[in-house]
Amino acid sequence: MRLLTHNYLQSNVKGTEEGYPLGIVPETVEIEKSPVDRELLLSILPKLNYDAVHQAVAQLRLHCSTLPKLPSTLPENISNDENLVNDLYFVLFDVHVKNGCLVCPATQRKFPIKDGIPNMILHEDEI
Amino acid sequence: MSDQTDTTPRQPDSNGDRYHLLIEFAHKHLDFQIAELESVLDMHGISLGDDEECRIIALPNANKTKLKTRHGKTVQVHRVKDSGSGAVTSRRPFLILSLPRTSKWIPNNDETQTNNIASIILERCTLVRNVMELWGMGTSIEECAMAAKDWIQNYTLGKLTFSRVSSESWKLTVHTLGAKYTYEEQGVMRSHVSHLGFSGPVQMKDPTNEYVLIHEIELNETGSPLYPRHSPEGKIISENDARPPIACYFARTLCGTRQHKGRGKEQYSLKNRTYLGPTSMDAELSSIMTNLGHCKEGTIAFDPFVGTGSILLSCALRGAFCIGTDIDFRILKGRSKDENIESNFRQFNLPKPELIRSDNSIHHRHFRTTSPMYDAIICDPPYGIRAGARKSGSRLTNPKPVPEDQRHDHIAQTRPYPVSDVMADLLDVAARNLVLGGRLVYIIPSYADFDDECDLPRHECLRIVHICYQPLGSELGRRMVTMEKIGEYDVSKRETHYLVSTWVNGPESAEKCANIREKILENAKLKPGYESKLEIRKQKRKANKEAKRIAKRAAADNFTD
Repeated sequence: MRLLTHNYLQSNVKGTEEGYPLGIVPETVEIEKSPVDRELLLSILPKLNYDAVHQAVAQLRLHCSTLPKLPSTLPENISNDENLVNDLYFVLFDVHVKNGCLVCPATQRKFPIKDGIPNMILHEDEI
Repeated sequence: MSDQTDTTPRQPDSNGDRYHLLIEFAHKHLDFQIAELESVLDMHGISLGDDEECRIIALPNANKTKLKTRHGKTVQVHRVKDSGSGAVTSRRPFLILSLPRTSKWIPNNDETQTNNIASIILERCTLVRNVMELWGMGTSIEECAMAAKDWIQNYTLGKLTFSRVSSESWKLTVHTLGAKYTYEEQGVMRSHVSHLGFSGPVQMKDPTNEYVLIHEIELNETGSPLYPRHSPEGKIISENDARPPIACYFARTLCGTRQHKGRGKEQYSLKNRTYLGPTSMDAELSSIMTNLGHCKEGTIAFDPFVGTGSILLSCALRGAFCIGTDIDFRILKGRSKDENIESNFRQFNLPKPELIRSDNSIHHRHFRTTSPMYDAIICDPPYGIRAGARKSGSRLTNPKPVPEDQRHDHIAQTRPYPVSDVMADLLDVAARNLVLGGRLVYIIPSYADFDDECDLPRHECLRIVHICYQPLGSELGRRMVTMEKIGEYDVSKRETHYLVSTWVNGPESAEKCANIREKILENAKLKPGYESKLEIRKQKRKANKEAKRIAKRAAADNFTD
């Protein structure tokens, strides 16, 4: 699971109002460098919830010290800041949470991540 | 094309002096050819249509004035309703695009030109075999040669082209589409164009220019010649009498010679993949789907029924970033580290897709949907033919609560997911999560009674762009449907409006693409010899089982020894 996906996932247990953003409890994290796709990054950046990215990086840093430090708010005119573009791309696309779990902030329901695949399926009494 | 009246003759140095591009299609997925071409051109902002810069013009047809029946066979013209361009396609494998002389898309030898219409088409169109610059055409070789000569002598564009290329190395290929001519007969055909006067050296291997003299004959739906070479008495008729040309073309091949085209595609074939399932999508069809869905670099493609990831792999080959979900964890995980979706992507050095186990019937509860993320949603929904659909939840209205201590390894229950709901949810997910202008491409199976007008699922925010039909038998077929998001999604209308208006004719339409498996089985039962075949199959299965059992026991015996 990349952090891009994390930015879109939310908890969905019946009756949950504030199921976003999910907390990350990582067990194994892998880093796979890929060429920076500037166009893709700049097109999705406005759609992202930046606070959730920032929080996720903070949670992962305990486990993976090589993560870059991101500003707490996203500056305007980011396309001119080459370093920040690269850092954001790295964080969103190159960091893979292999194993661990996602935790709903409201209900503490855990969604396991196994082999990089988060399991968001609900139990029959949570639908 | 045969029904079209506009033949747009070229007129010297006027608006009629247009550039003509001859496209040769592979003889398969006939109904997909124009839709794919149109989508690929559309991606580059070239629209195809009668009133547009770039338009389709009629092919010459020697049979137009003749009766439609010869040798006692009726020539059926395969017609396709096409949105937008109003084009009608026959089963002829050629198509001519006409562009104004000044169009920036015309291929020229200018090295600063990065994109021209020929390279655009050849790079992406799965069903195109060759793209050529048309010099002349006609209903006979003589007429075609005259037209070519006229073009290079009397037209500005023709004169320019000829002065540029005539001194380069060249060869001439005679292409007769399945009709067999002897070397001498081909020589006679060649002699008709010899007066064009190329001054460059002839070079059979890798020449700069390859000229093609095409002798088009009538083909049947499988792409073989329509008429036999034998007379009813068994005598061989000379080729030209048996299969006279319905059109001839003289053209210069663009972007490399014929023999270099179409290479390297085999590597993507399903049989070369490490991980496959019973519903994996054929590489060619999924490649067409990526074109219909406008997948390219910098876009995000989503498949809500990802399965073995065969469709997403094709999207990734086009440079799209891929996200896939499925309700079945076993198929997402694969058989082992080297036999899963990721290993298929690794094989082609593609960035791995994002996989999530989630349920498309409640997509909006798994994913934040405030800002649409997907540029394309491309999928083959489960219709219960090979794989049935499930959604989460219990069959019971009040399921038993899961005991707290068993929660972490509890296997969530699933219940059947009727096809009508699968489609309603799919369209709703697309309408909600596609960016404006984003595309949904999906496949829907159908029997002969299916009506495009009222049996396809609809959504207020989506417009149907293409419907391509692929026959799978006399009755059964499937459609590849392309939709485009044209309106913003209004969450408050979901329950009251969108989900209830999916099926124009209500349950009657929904029923048509449901239970296809049962319909196939019922039809099979009606065929003669069904019972005996069933018996044979049963015996075979029994024998197989027995053989496996014996092998297993032998292996166990060996082990204990």
